[in-house]
Amino acid sequence: MDNSGKEKEAMALMAEAEKKVKSSQSFFGSLFGGSSKMEDACDLYGRAANMFKMAKNWSAAGNAFSQAALLHLQMQSKHDAATNFIDAGNAFKKSDPQEAINCLNRAIEIYTDMGRFTIAAKHHVTIAEVYETELVDIDKAIAHYEQAADYYKGEESTSSANKCLLKVATYAAQLEQYPKAIEIYEQVATHAMDSTLLKYSAKDYFFKAALCHFCVDMLNAKLALQKYEEMFPAFSDSRECKLVKKLLDAFEEQNVDAYTDAVKEYDTISRLDQWLTTMLLRIKKTIQEDESDLR
Amino acid sequence: MSSDFEAYEQDFGTLTAEITNKIGRIPKLAGEEKTQLVLNVDKQLEEVRELLEQMDLEVREIPIQSRAMYNSRLKSYKQEMEKLEKDFKRSRIAYSDEVRNELLGDDASSSENQRAHLLDNTERLERSSRRLEAGYQIAVETEQVGQEILANLNSDREKIQRSRERLRETDANLGKSSRILTGMLRRIIQNRVLVFILGAIILLTIVLAIYFNLRGH
Repeated sequence: MDNSGKEKEAMALMAEAEKKVKSSQSFFGSLFGGSSKMEDACDLYGRAANMFKMAKNWSAAGNAFSQAALLHLQMQSKHDAATNFIDAGNAFKKSDPQEAINCLNRAIEIYTDMGRFTIAAKHHVTIAEVYETELVDIDKAIAHYEQAADYYKGEESTSSANKCLLKVATYAAQLEQYPKAIEIYEQVATHAMDSTLLKYSAKDYFFKAALCHFCVDMLNAKLALQKYEEMFPAFSDSRECKLVKKLLDAFEEQNVDAYTDAVKEYDTISRLDQWLTTMLLRIKKTIQEDESDLR
Repeated sequence: MSSDFEAYEQDFGTLTAEITNKIGRIPKLAGEEKTQLVLNVDKQLEEVRELLEQMDLEVREIPIQSRAMYNSRLKSYKQEMEKLEKDFKRSRIAYSDEVRNELLGDDASSSENQRAHLLDNTERLERSSRRLEAGYQIAVETEQVGQEILANLNSDREKIQRSRERLRETDANLGKSSRILTGMLRRIIQNRVLVFILGAIILLTIVLAIYFNLRGH
């Protein structure tokens, strides 16, 4: 694995490609089959980028791919340009997230131009993931997930759309945008109720929606719970529904201990994940605040 | 007459006391002594029965007015005797703690045993309930995993359906393009044939022109 050797080769290829591009832009070049020169140059850029990838020099690889993509754009072959932008984005993901997002955005533009919304949606999801993990910008991530969900809906792939929407709802609830989260959860849950495969997940969505209602206002939660029970009778048997009822009672009596007990009991059987713990903690705080208010 | 009756009553009393005593002792003994004691009690029970019969005859000879009291006493004695007989029968097959201890080793701490038993049982119960809870937890986890798998399957299903649609479209497009290509091929051949024909005509015209020129000279 002679990495440095590969790098040198790659740099040599890049230089050659650049020369070809320059020469093809001169007068004679455009006379004598300039386009084939540009194609060769694209090819050379591609090979150089692959060598950079072997040498694990991700930024250089990303650069090479972007150059190739720009050349393709000039040659009006949008497909190839978009593919190269995606490759560039993937290479940059490992070194420079911001550049990656730029490349991916340009690729998405090309795809939406061509009308390939499914692929555009998939890349929106990739971008949103980058925002989630590396750049930790939740708002932008939510925006991209929403876009992806819209495109998926347009292409009638409801399950992929639902996946994205769920992520949006999780983050929205964390950021206290409860109405949006509630709407999404209810929508997804009603859709899940009808499908034979998904109906076992429906109760989970109803539970989350009920918790969001709870964070807003207790009365809302009660009405919502009744509505859900009507819509989906199996929901009333689930442990989640019983937990919510216990929490409602504890809330009415302003009894923090009963609340904690109910939550602990549920936790012993199935661990509460991070999102649930955050929401339940918020509700608990509102009880404690009310108590101290009354005192 | 009544003094006879009273004498009988006294005898009855002593006999029943003895019998009760012996019946109490029977379960604790074993083997020779037991059989002897059993025979003894049998004999005494016979005596008691005879006594009761004589008391009965006495009561019959008493004038009717005072008979009631003696009758009731007689009835109670008879009941006592029946009870003694029952006890006797039971005692012959009875179990006594002492015999048990002899068998299982003289354990003076039998109450300790019971406590140990109880603790053991409670521990076993707790263990089983803990295992049940663990089992329930696993069942719930399995359900959650199942949910996720179902959701994945659903999305895969949609993907497969979409790919199938796209494949059909591609197939149709390929058919169209192959038809266009054959059309193109045909036109190329036509063009070439035309070119050859025209070329031939031009050649012919040139040849004719030269010929007429030469002929004109």
